[in-house]
Amino acid sequence: MKSSSLRLFLLMTGLMVLPSGVLPLSAQQPKDSAVEEKRLLQVLRSDAPAAQKAITCKELAIHGSGAAVPDLAKLLPNPQLSSWSRIALEAIPGEQSDAALRQAAESLRGQLLVGVINSIGVRRDKKAVPILIARLQDGDLEVAAAAAVAMGRIADDEATLALQKALPMVSAELKSSVAEACVLAAEYRLLNGQKQKAAEVYDQVRNADVPIQRIVEATRGAILARDQEGVPLLIQTLRSKEKKLRQLALATVREFPGDRIDTALAAELNEASPERAVFIIQAMADRPQTVVLPAILSAVREGKPMVQAAAIDSLRRVGDESCLPILLTVATGDNTELKEIAKSTLAELPGEGVNQRIAMMLSSAKAGENALLLHLIAQRRVDAVPQVVQALSSADSTIRHAALVALGQTVSLDRLSLLLEAVVQPGNSADSEVASRALRAASVRMPDREACAKQLAMAMKKAAPAKRTTLLEILAEVGGDTALAEVSAAAMSADLQLQDDGSRLLGKWNSVEAAPSLMRLALSGASSKYRVRGMRGYIGVARKFPMPESQRVEMCQQAFEKASRTDEQKLVLEVLKIHPSLEGLSLAVQAQKVPAVKADATVAASMIAQKLGGKGVDVAAIIAAGGMKPVTLKIISAAYGAGNVKKDVTAVITKHAGNLPWVKLPDNSYNASFGGDPVPGKVKQLSIRYVMNGKQGEASFGENSPILLPQPK
Amino acid sequence: MLRKSGDAAALENQSSRRQFLKKSAATAGVAISAPTIIPSSALGLDGAVAPSERIVVGGIGIGRRGGYDLGCFLQQKDVQFVAVCDIKQKRRDAVKKQVDAHHSNDKCATYRDFRELLDRSDIDAVLIATGPNWHATAAMTAAKSGKDMYCEKPVTKNISQSLILADTMRRTSRVFQAGTQRRNLPHFAFACELARTGKLGKLKKVYAHPAGMQAMMSGWLVPETEPDAELVDWNMYLGPAAWRPFNKKLLDGFNFEKGGGLVGGGVLEWGSHCVDLCQWAVNDCPPPVEYNAPKDGELVAKYENGTELIFREKGWIPLGSCPVRFEGEDGWVEAGDSGKMVLSSPELLAGREVEEIGGYPATFHVRDFLDCVKSRRQPKGNAVAACNAHIACHAANIALHLGRQVKYDNVNHEFIDDEQANRLRSEALREPWRL
Repeated sequence: MKSSSLRLFLLMTGLMVLPSGVLPLSAQQPKDSAVEEKRLLQVLRSDAPAAQKAITCKELAIHGSGAAVPDLAKLLPNPQLSSWSRIALEAIPGEQSDAALRQAAESLRGQLLVGVINSIGVRRDKKAVPILIARLQDGDLEVAAAAAVAMGRIADDEATLALQKALPMVSAELKSSVAEACVLAAEYRLLNGQKQKAAEVYDQVRNADVPIQRIVEATRGAILARDQEGVPLLIQTLRSKEKKLRQLALATVREFPGDRIDTALAAELNEASPERAVFIIQAMADRPQTVVLPAILSAVREGKPMVQAAAIDSLRRVGDESCLPILLTVATGDNTELKEIAKSTLAELPGEGVNQRIAMMLSSAKAGENALLLHLIAQRRVDAVPQVVQALSSADSTIRHAALVALGQTVSLDRLSLLLEAVVQPGNSADSEVASRALRAASVRMPDREACAKQLAMAMKKAAPAKRTTLLEILAEVGGDTALAEVSAAAMSADLQLQDDGSRLLGKWNSVEAAPSLMRLALSGASSKYRVRGMRGYIGVARKFPMPESQRVEMCQQAFEKASRTDEQKLVLEVLKIHPSLEGLSLAVQAQKVPAVKADATVAASMIAQKLGGKGVDVAAIIAAGGMKPVTLKIISAAYGAGNVKKDVTAVITKHAGNLPWVKLPDNSYNASFGGDPVPGKVKQLSIRYVMNGKQGEASFGENSPILLPQPK
Repeated sequence: MLRKSGDAAALENQSSRRQFLKKSAATAGVAISAPTIIPSSALGLDGAVAPSERIVVGGIGIGRRGGYDLGCFLQQKDVQFVAVCDIKQKRRDAVKKQVDAHHSNDKCATYRDFRELLDRSDIDAVLIATGPNWHATAAMTAAKSGKDMYCEKPVTKNISQSLILADTMRRTSRVFQAGTQRRNLPHFAFACELARTGKLGKLKKVYAHPAGMQAMMSGWLVPETEPDAELVDWNMYLGPAAWRPFNKKLLDGFNFEKGGGLVGGGVLEWGSHCVDLCQWAVNDCPPPVEYNAPKDGELVAKYENGTELIFREKGWIPLGSCPVRFEGEDGWVEAGDSGKMVLSSPELLAGREVEEIGGYPATFHVRDFLDCVKSRRQPKGNAVAACNAHIACHAANIALHLGRQVKYDNVNHEFIDDEQANRLRSEALREPWRL
């Protein structure tokens, strides 16, 4: 099939997904646009179906030149192909495309004319302005509106002046489009530094009898075009009775340059109703570089609750250390909701001096503030250990507990002993659990985990039995060589509790380094329960961690041979399935000789063989060596392909099927075996229907996978 | 199949210090959770919504995804849903039934032409959940009608549309929220914050999962009898897409004309989420300036400062769909739709607790949008952010399509000395539609 015919065939049969480069453009081979253009023009000039001409237009958008324009222009009056033609004409640079569109703009009517005018606007063809001015008078409202907007996009002096003149003259139905065009033209001037001219056009629109949205757009432009002189208009807009304009002002505040507007907003806050003040505060807080902070603090102190809430919340973006006293007052006050907002703001309050100030405040805190400050020290990780330590001796358990939590978040390795002592020899038994949690939080974040583990190990030696479990658990979370050695020793110790704790923690160890200790536990643990923990932990290591496949299979081999129960042997087979390798397949095949796991081993071998597909692995011999039983096999049908495009490969499959549930093709590549690629560039599947040992089955295989047919149930 | 989370961490981590984060992790730090809202009772409303504070919403193109979004809107007490537009009568009727039942009235109006819905002055905002073919055109038409909008992704079909979208939203002063709801999920937000604020050190690589780097398009199918427009309005369905005859197989709006016909596919479908997150991680800076042809399942793009944006098909920690990974000189983080993330060091948490929210719900994103409709702040998925992320996706697709490197100039918004690539920046709309 010729490429063009194939292309059409695919289009007409519902092509939905095209791998890049397959169709229809120049993704892989065709890079020479001149050559491509000639080929494409032949299609346009032929009696090819409209579908093919349509896609050809798209290709010409990339490869076409002025030479293609006449043929494309002929399609502009065609209702089916006009839009396709404009895809190319809009994209092809040069005067020829502009001229063709201008010519069409003078001859076409209705929707097709609207499309052509839209394309002229996209190309910003100044030569078309006289035609567009004429079309402003068109009796077809859609045509006139399109012409106006195209003029707004072109935005040269001729077009802009014509739009300004037209605005008061045109019908009410057309006013919105002309105003839209004026705003576009004004924006063009604003972007090009012609602020005064831009403001003039914006002002004309905002004072015209046009829909509110056009006034919104023009007002925004009028404010921005005036630069700092636009502040009064912005504030006036903020006070507007029209909701849309108030909303506009709130948005424009956020993009307005300079700091004059901040001062104006601070003043406005005093005049605003609570409802408006909330929105003004939110806008002020979105200007962190220039915000007038005292005005917001004043709102925190004196505003209505809704204003206070907004002001407190805004401080998380624009506050600093000067806000701490008032926030602490609110956070320890009576208003439940404001308290929560203040606490949350305190946790995030920006400013370099905030943490230092919090530490200082703890020393002289009022009653009721201590716990909050300690909580903040923990949340913000404030370096204030000396002040926190003082709080450990408080008679108030709430303060002591808050201090312990704060230490957990802030203490460094050289002061870890504070928390170790609190765990091993608590001054108050009520603090024990909190201290343990704090020690855990501190330990896992220590940069030098070996040094941390050594301190924990030392503490274990003098700890009461109940505390040793806690310390051992923390050691396991810390990890590393020292911790592993301690936990391993505990698992193999004579102490019953340590055996239990150690084997439990070792069984869940999260690194490859634990493998030898786990195998030792698996073989020599004090009880079968611990030996199972060891073996399962060992298999888990093989399952979870990256390592060379040969090492993984060796671990699996060890585990399979040493496992005393079939449950663990089956887990080994699971590992082999998750990490398929040739060595693993060999092990799975060997495992088929163990009757208790034969069925699982067969499944594992099949799955591994499937996953090794496409890698050129010859697995037939390995499977045969495993003693796979002969079967009676009949192939009913086989198809190879993708989507709706399938090739019948029944004969090839039948020829190579034997008396094993295994079909060995002449080549590892399906395409080579089946005489070519039926759907180039797409991922294909092989589907086989068959009868095995009298039972009908069906199986599918990814491209180039080994064909191992399952026994139908 | 997704492996257990413990395996995920272990597979990636050689060190037990790299911890898998769980919601239950006991920390004393600041909780990173879904955005909090000042309770209305604190605003003096005692939990009630004043009529003047209600946001009146209409829906455009409410199918499967739109139906989900609609549910998120209806959960919000300050939303009054009053109208639905769809080109399919069945959908119009179904949505009306759902909305009327929710509001206990029969006032949800139905429209076939969304312009009639936009003409209603009582509607403040619209939910646009048409197929991707319509997103940009409908969004800009809505903006010019003075409506704020929550618009599903991919938002644009090409680079030009992306730029015009950002310009239009600015000019019309509209609140625009792209349907990139992951920006309002705590773990993704935290991961991006780590990258953005330098906690990972100098950022070297950000990874996105395009889930299928291939071009997609809808061709002409065998013409079938066009149904009555009242049942299925084929002309409105085609909308800005070039004309083709009716065939019911093309009525899958989700895939129809995705990405503009020449280039689209997974890079747009998933990229508009995960590239968007990568863009957030690089502080929403302009998109990369260099895009290379894909090799071994990776397409590498480079930002101006040398940071790489890598579209990667494989090699992800199994954290669910839409994974992203950010690598700096001092650490890395990877996150996915399970709500979980993996960090190179637990110290990156700095004592903070990150709430795990799996299943990528849009509820918080919808709430963010509604709050911004009131405050006029820019929402997380605003038009400029969406514009940059979509340009990155479109440019990558152009490199993919041309099978070679392309270089992009973020000032002039053009490919450098590359006419073929430049011609793929935009595509004419079918009459009468314009942007």
